[in-house]
This record gives sequence, C-alpha cells and structure tokens, in this order.
Amino acid sequence: MIIPVTISRSSQFSTKLPPQLVTLGHDELFLIELQGTLDVEGTEKEDKDGQLIGTLNTTDMNKPTLTIGYHLLEGKVVNLAKPLGVLHKQASAPVGGESTSSESQEEVGVGTKWDVIAVVKKKMVFSKRPMPIATGKPASKAPSSRRA
Amino acid sequence: MSDIDVRFSPSTAQDAGSFRLIELPPELCQLIESTMNAPSHAQSTLCVKGSIAEDAVLCTADKTYALRSVQLSNTLLVTTPSRTDSGRAVNVRDQIHEVLELAPSVPKLHKLPMFLKGAQYDEGDEDRRVTLVKYTYDQALSEIQASEAEFQRGLKEKRILVLDGYLRPIVPTHLSTILELILSYMVTLSLSYQAAGVEELVSTLADEHEIPREVSGQIISWFGPVKEGLWEMDVKAVVAEIGLEILRHYKHEPIMESEFLSKWKNKIGDTFEAFLALELLTGNYLRSQDNSGGAALTYFPASGLQVDPAARFTELFLTKQRWKSNDIEPFLSDIAVNSKERDKLLLKYARAITTPEGTWYTSRVGYNN
Repeated sequence: MIIPVTISRSSQFSTKLPPQLVTLGHDELFLIELQGTLDVEGTEKEDKDGQLIGTLNTTDMNKPTLTIGYHLLEGKVVNLAKPLGVLHKQASAPVGGESTSSESQEEVGVGTKWDVIAVVKKKMVFSKRPMPIATGKPASKAPSSRRA
Repeated sequence: MSDIDVRFSPSTAQDAGSFRLIELPPELCQLIESTMNAPSHAQSTLCVKGSIAEDAVLCTADKTYALRSVQLSNTLLVTTPSRTDSGRAVNVRDQIHEVLELAPSVPKLHKLPMFLKGAQYDEGDEDRRVTLVKYTYDQALSEIQASEAEFQRGLKEKRILVLDGYLRPIVPTHLSTILELILSYMVTLSLSYQAAGVEELVSTLADEHEIPREVSGQIISWFGPVKEGLWEMDVKAVVAEIGLEILRHYKHEPIMESEFLSKWKNKIGDTFEAFLALELLTGNYLRSQDNSGGAALTYFPASGLQVDPAARFTELFLTKQRWKSNDIEPFLSDIAVNSKERDKLLLKYARAITTPEGTWYTSRVGYNN
C-alpha cells in the first residue's frame, strides 16, 4: 500500500497570520504548546466550532501571554530541536478504475493522501504555572486549560 | 492592541485528527523546503509504504526511513489564521499528542525473492514468456518498502530481469553461463573491458546463442556502467558471480580451497585470471581448517540468513560458536545501515571477548554449553 505525500506550496491568495506571528517562521501556521490539555464543556460535536478558547497577547513577542478563562499563561518562543513537518490529511475519493495487475484488489483506505503544508522551526510554549486573574473577562462557555 | 482571539476551528469534527507532526532530518527538511520554494509545480517523490502488518516507512526517491510514533507529555496546538478575521483571530485546528520520528533504514528488499518463486527465467525460456507467477515491476514497487532508486538497485543486485514489465529472476546457472560467454567473447572479439561495444556483444550472443537482447543487455548493465553504448565492465563483479555459482554447489559438503580456486580459474580463463581472489566472495562462505591441514570452503550466503537481528545472530552462533570481528562483519552488513549501527547490533546481541589474538564474539545466551 502506498500513501502519497505531496508537498504543497504556499499560495499568495490564502489568508496569512498576523505579522508578529509570522516571525515564528511560517506565514500560515504556527504551533502553541501547552502543558496538559484543553478541557471543554459541552457534549455536542459542533458545540466547539468557532468558540473562543482564549486571547493571545503578542505586544512583546519575547513574553507572549495567553489568557484562558480565569488563567493567565506566560510563554516564550523557542526553537524546535528538530524542524517539524506539518502534514494535513487530504479527503480522498475511493480509488477505482485502472490497477496495475488485473488480479489486485485495492484495499479499503487506499486513496488516503497527505500533504506537507508547512515546515516549522519554532513554537510558542506556555509552560509556566498559570496565574489566576481576579478581574479576567470570562467568556461564556469558555474552556479552561487543565494541567495534566 | 495586539490581542488575538484564539478560537476552535469552525469545523472541529472534520479537522480533529487530520494533522500529523513529523520530525525532519536535515536532508529531508532541505528536500521539502526546496520543493516548496521551487517556482514550478515540480513534486518530490514522497510516500508512506507498508501493508497493514508492517511498520510503515517513509520513502523519498532514493532513501527509506522507518517511522516511529513518540508520545508527548504536552499538547501541541496546530493553529492557522481565521479566514474571516485574519488580522485578529486564529483557529486551533488540531490538538496533537504525538510526533512521528524518522530513522534512516535499510530498504526492505528481502521479501522480493519470495514473491518471485515460479517466475524464474532460465535457458529455454526465450520464447516462453508466460509463467505461473506474474509479478510486475509496478506491483512490486508499491508493495516493497524501499525507495525506487533502492528498489532498482535491489533488482540489479538480486539478478532480477524486467521483461515486458514483469519481474523475472534469472536462474543462477544460466546467468553464470552467459557471463562465461561474455568473458570469452571479450577476448575473441578483442573488446576492451574498459570500453566494450555493447551492440556487438549483444548481437553476437543473440546470433550465436539465441540469448534475447533484452536479457543480455540488462545483465551487462548489472556489471558496470554503460555510457554511449560502451560498457565499462566491473570485472571483479563478473568474476565473483562466476565463482559464486561454483560455490553454490558446496552448501552441505565443503570443497578444498585449492580445488575451488582451480575450478574458478578454468571458468574465467587466462585473460582475467589476475582478478581472481577469494575476497571477492566475502559474506558468502565459511572457511575452516580441514583435518589434512588445508582450508575448506562451504557456501554460506548472508543473503540466505534471517533479516531480523536477533534471529540472524542466533543463526550465526548456531553455525559457529565464536567469530572474529572480521569474519562476522560481512554477515551483518546487509542488515545494518552503517558500521556504527553494526557495532550497536554486536553490542546488543553478542558478547565480546578480548584475547591476545584479537576480539572474539560469542552468543550472549549459551546454546551448546
């Protein structure tokens, strides 16, 4: 079984990140690292769509902050030990038609394709203990970040 | 104000699990970046290969990497600009808890001979192209975990012909016969082995011995480069192949080294005698001292041993209890990417004993004790 991996080029027409985030290395994608996972209320699959997680403040790119619910996380931009390729699964139509051998049956799942959409060399890490904010702006239904 | 809203993706169900992060070794990073920056729509060949039962590998045009998943203690959020509000909002598309690591791997060509039993090409098969087993080049390429360049090299090394798109391993005795003919025609046609006219050689073999042109042409390409119709013959490789065919008959009963060398010399002929050396067959024989004081050889090919390291070492130590490093290394070179990896295997699966004569390797587990 072969899963093709294509390498996509950045298109000049796709939306770009705000300029200060582009300094992380790629103009359409960046990585945020959190300790723990995002804890979300709501059980319907579509509940989360488009909902606010938090606010990223990038006034000082040496000390970016992320506010989630009542917590303020301080972070920093670090270089990755090794560059990371970001792969995105492509929705695929089932493969039909010609096959190289008249006897071979294409297996289910063949037709999956992946696309390398970015190579990133930095990430924004929020690893310090979150500070509770007394007068934070609580967004309704905002998820909280939970340290694992 | 540089406040940016961080939101969930507008389509979380679709996006979740659709991203993967993969650590890139420098050469792969460079390959991907140069493809991304290239002006035209050129693609680099990159694919993941493997059957359900196998560990997946990533292949470029000429290299194979083993894929391994590593769990992260933290979470990585793949974040992209919001389509509707790009200056002020970003979307978390996926939450990632593992990263894929790549490690350079030897191409996994060992399955090839297995698939091709019954598809062999022998003397007398010139007109009969139909075999019971039909395995095409493309089929093999999609199933074998190797890059195309490594796959093509593997076909040459395993003496597999490609005839009408089908893979046909050539029967060793027939190959040896053809090579012996080639050597003798090099002399009778006064061809220089450094620049032999391929057309003349191939035509003579077709006219005098009914050897199809595609067959002799491919065989010639296995034993040295062909440039502008001239073949620079790798004499050592040809001589080795002929010697190997003689040796193959002595798998269970040894042959005296002196007798073997003289048989070999007879097949090669005077012109190429200077190239004859037992070292050409390293990794294919075991040498032992006979009772009469002479050396005896037994056919023992590395290619016939298990590919899995633990099983390989078991076989080696069952054959001989202890090995000198020079003797054991040729039987590990096909499963270790480089000498560092080979040394790691020796460290893991063997016990080293240093004596005044040098380092001996024995099994870590006692079998015959």
